[in-house]
Order: sequence, then structure tokens, then C-alpha cells
Amino acid sequence: MMKNRKSNWALLAPMYVFTILFVALPILYMFLLSFLTRAEVWGVDFTFTLDNYKRIGEPLYLNTFVESLKLAFLSTLLVMLIGYPYGYFMARMSAVWKKRMLLLIMIPFWTSALIRLYGWIIVFRTNGVLDKLLMGLHITEEPLKLLYTYPAVVVGMVYSLLPFMILSVYSSAEKLDFTLAEAARDLGASSFKAFWTVSFKLTLPGLLSGVILSFIPSMGLFFIADILGGNKIVLVGSVIQEQLTKGRNQPFAAALSAVLMVLTTLMIRIYRKVTGTSELEGLV
Amino acid sequence: MKKCMTLLLCLSLAVAALTGCGSETEKQEGKIGGEMNLYTWDGMFPQEVLSGFEEETGVRINYSNFDYDEDMLAKLEETQGGDYDFVIADDYIIELVIAEGLAQKLDTAKLENYNNLNPVFMSQFYDPDNEYTVPYGAGIPLIVYDPALTDVEITGYEDLWNPALEDNVAITANYRVINGIALKTMGESFNTEDLSVIQAAGDKLLELAPNIRVINDSNTQDYVVSGEVAAAFLYTSQVYTALNARDDLEVVYPSEGLGFGIMAGFIPSDAPNAEAAYAFIDYINRPENAAKCFEYIGYYCTNKAAEEFISEEMKEMIVLPEGVAEGEIIQNISQDAEDLHAEIWNQFKSACD
Repeated sequence: MMKNRKSNWALLAPMYVFTILFVALPILYMFLLSFLTRAEVWGVDFTFTLDNYKRIGEPLYLNTFVESLKLAFLSTLLVMLIGYPYGYFMARMSAVWKKRMLLLIMIPFWTSALIRLYGWIIVFRTNGVLDKLLMGLHITEEPLKLLYTYPAVVVGMVYSLLPFMILSVYSSAEKLDFTLAEAARDLGASSFKAFWTVSFKLTLPGLLSGVILSFIPSMGLFFIADILGGNKIVLVGSVIQEQLTKGRNQPFAAALSAVLMVLTTLMIRIYRKVTGTSELEGLV
Repeated sequence: MKKCMTLLLCLSLAVAALTGCGSETEKQEGKIGGEMNLYTWDGMFPQEVLSGFEEETGVRINYSNFDYDEDMLAKLEETQGGDYDFVIADDYIIELVIAEGLAQKLDTAKLENYNNLNPVFMSQFYDPDNEYTVPYGAGIPLIVYDPALTDVEITGYEDLWNPALEDNVAITANYRVINGIALKTMGESFNTEDLSVIQAAGDKLLELAPNIRVINDSNTQDYVVSGEVAAAFLYTSQVYTALNARDDLEVVYPSEGLGFGIMAGFIPSDAPNAEAAYAFIDYINRPENAAKCFEYIGYYCTNKAAEEFISEEMKEMIVLPEGVAEGEIIQNISQDAEDLHAEIWNQFKSACD
């Protein structure tokens, strides 16, 4: 018994060391940094201060959090509306088609996310693919200014996050016993009611983990807003990056990151409370 | 665990010892040899010049690049002025590098071609006595516009505010420069530390927001070249690229006064191979080599002797016209003023959306 436990510990040790070194310590360092003062030229002075957090309370920076949350909620909502049906119906297809559909989701991942975003620029730019198409069909007369707008950013976000939703809904729906829904139909439920009370309820964990998996990254995906939004939407991520580089203010950047982190953790908490689950479907 | 750690330590020591030896063995007869770690932005030298130097001196160049001056400062702080042999960066950051003691004094006696440098670009605020740096290119942000896309005849910064340019202007992302043009339209200095003046410029800048289509620091010229916008406010190298791509674009030297920036090179305080860095500085300042460099990077030539080697068609773009050097350089200002600039910038960006 004793021996067994010892060898278990030895097997787990690398994981603990890794987690402590590369997750716990950096986070601790970040929190510590957020209470320090910036040095005149570069680096930090070891003087304790709460000013960094006070500064976040200013309307300008509060607004970036609001802006980030707004974009994250909107993108997640759209991802949910598109991703859920995709994942759900994919799970009901024949084995061959399931493989094909999965492949279609995977193929874009073979290229870097950044390059795929630049692809969207070609679509959206003035006299770009979409403009040419719309003008060719005589739907619009003049080139639309689609690039560097809010909708362009939302499209980019949805595009980047969609796979997370589809895959988690799919893994949940695949485990679903569809005969249960058939039974509900046999017992007189309308097809909508059968879906709503049986299938939807049973795939809810997949949907909710998809929500978390798209919501959390969407708080940090500032480069999409930079590339497709022309740097005009100020998100928390871009402020952090700017403070670290041009602003040379590491403590303030750390404070912003700390608040962002607490916010995201809070979201996961709420998710666990609401669903009563502790593991994310499709991840494990 | 402990054993693991000791093993790791031993390994890293062994690796360090091995790499330490490596550079020694490469020395050749009569040549400097070894490696030179060059640290600057991407694309600052034509391959021809780099290879030419390697061949002549037997020094192998390791070219590493940074995106922002601040990244460079952070790296040098980390290594305490070590690891890199020659660094080229912007004027304002060099002032900080020197203040932090991360640059070494130059022994100009070792530089045969030192006198080729154009004094107009020397003795500036960041190095008033030319103790630490040699200039390598200068830039003036200018407005480039496409007359086919707008009726506005642009002559100065003020014209960018013209409502006829709604949603039709691209700008770079350096807030000191952009807030600076608002200051210039008010007849103020780029470097004012008067917070009320900076705030007034910020208010004026907000009125520019409806005209801004895109804010980006890299390849900003693409937006005007592709016709995405009618006018763009660009860095010198971008102006150069834009004009090379389309000669129907108009360049404007804004009437309110020009901004001016100088890039300069220095040897970090603890450079491992300063000897090679000296040889490199000398090599790139030979007139014909310098001409190749400036034709390649498209910044104003800071080497007087090189001017005659620059081809006629390029001369008007990269040899500074007389009198223009009167432009004002953006310098480091008080922390409060800098913070206010950053805040204004974020307000402005949100207003652009």
C-alpha cells in the first residue's frame, strides 16, 4: 500500500513541478507586481501601492472592460446560435459523414490563426471578394466599407471561436441516446417538445462548456479587434499589451491582468453553480 | 527531486561551457572573426551589405530583431548591456538607454569613416556630445493622399480634420506622434509638458475621430496604396514604399511644421564583441555601402559622403532637402505628461470606433 502511494507520487511529481513553475509562480509574480510602483525608466520599484487598482476604476479603463465584456457576450451568443445546431446535427449523421464534417472543422486549424484572419481582410476589403460579389449581383452599387468595422470584428471572433462550441456540443450530443427522444415522441410529445425536454436538456452540459470555452478566450483575443477592427476598439487585452510595451508600466499591466483573471474565474464559478458540473464537456 | 535538480544544473553548466568555447575557435588569421550580435528592427540592412561584411572580416552576424523600442530596452535591462554588440533604435529610447548606463562610449579614433556622417543629424538631445551613438537614418512622418479619391487639397495636418475625409484616413499608432499633430495644428510644440495644452490637443484630436478608418503602425501605406483610404499619415519608410508602388499619390510636407526622428546605433555597455561592432559601424559608413543601405531602408541618408552614390531618382526621396532638418524631434517628457498622452490616445481610439 505504502509503496504504491509512493510510486504514484513520483509519477505525479513532474506535473506538480510543471504547474508550480509555469502556472502558480507566474500568477503569484503577476499579483505581486500589480501592487508595486513603476520605476522611472524601466522596471519596478518595490514600493507598495494600490494606485494601479485605483486607476482601473477610472471611466476610461472601466470602459475597456465593458467593451471587452460586450464583445465577448455578443460573440459567444452568435457562436452558440450557429455552433449548437451544427454540433447537434453532426452527431446524428452517419459515421462516414461525421468524419467528413469533423475534417471540415479541423482543416482550417492546419493554418495559423493569424493567416486565416488575414484571409478575412481579402474578403472584406474595399473592392474585395465580398464587394465584388455584391456589386456583380447588383445588390450594391458602390463598394461598402466593411473592413475595420465592428461587424467585421464580430465575424472574426465568431469564426475563431466556433470550433470550440461545435466540438463540445458534438461530444455531448454523440453520447445522447436518441431513442429517448423517440420515446418522448411515442408518448405524444411534439417534435419540438421532445427536443426541448429531452435532447436539449441532455446536451446542455456540452453547450455550457462550449460557452465557457468561447467566452474566456474572447475576453483576450484583442488581436482580432486590431486586425479586423483597425485598432479602433480598445479591449482590455490591447491596453495590457500597450502598457507593457509602449507605456513601460508593468505594474499597471499586471493589475489589469489580475482583474481580468478574477473576472474570468468568477464566470467559471457561476457556470459551475448554474450547471452543477465541475468538468468541462469535450475537454476531458 | 534533488538529484534531478543537480543533474539539470550540471547539464546547463556544461552547455554554457561548451557554447563559451565555440566562439573562440572560429578566429582566423588577420580577421576579427567570432560573432556579432546585431539587434534592431527587421529589414534594416540589405543582405548584400551584411554578406559583404561577413566575407571581409570573418565575423558571423547574428541578426535578431525587435518590434518596439521598448522591447529592446527591456532586453538590454535583462542582460545588463550584454549579449548584443550593436543596436540600432530610435532617438528617444537611446536617451533612456544612455541614462541607464547600458551603452558604452565610442572611441571614434577607431572609426575611419566617422567624418562621413552628416553633422545635421548629430549632437541631438539624446547624445549632445556624440559620445555614444552614430546616426543611421532619419525619418519625417508625412501625409500621403490619393487625389483621385478626394477633392480635398491637403497641405497640412489641419486638412485631415476636413469633414469631407470622413472615414477615409489611416494613421500610424504612435500616440506621441498623433497627439503631436494635434498640438502642431494649435501651434504648440510636440514636447510641451503643459498638461492643459496637452488636454486641449486631446479634445481637438477627438474631433478627428470620425475621419479615422484604421490605426496601424506596420505597413500603414497599404491602406492608401490599395485605395482603402484616401489619405494616410505615414512614417518615412512607408512614404517611400507607397510612392514606389504608385507614383500618382501626392506627398505633403505639412505646413504646420514637421516631426523629425533619428535612428542611431550604439554599442551596449557589456558587448561581448565590441571589436566587431566597431568594424561594422565603419563598414556601413563607407560611402558606397551607406548608399546601398539607405536606398534599401528608404530613410533619409545620415551619411554626407554617401549622397553622391545614391541614384538620381532616389535622391529626392532619401536625401534631405535643405532646411527641412529644422523639424522638431519628439523627446522624452515628464511622466505626468506622458501618462496624459497615453490616456488621450485610448480615449481617441474608443472614439474612432
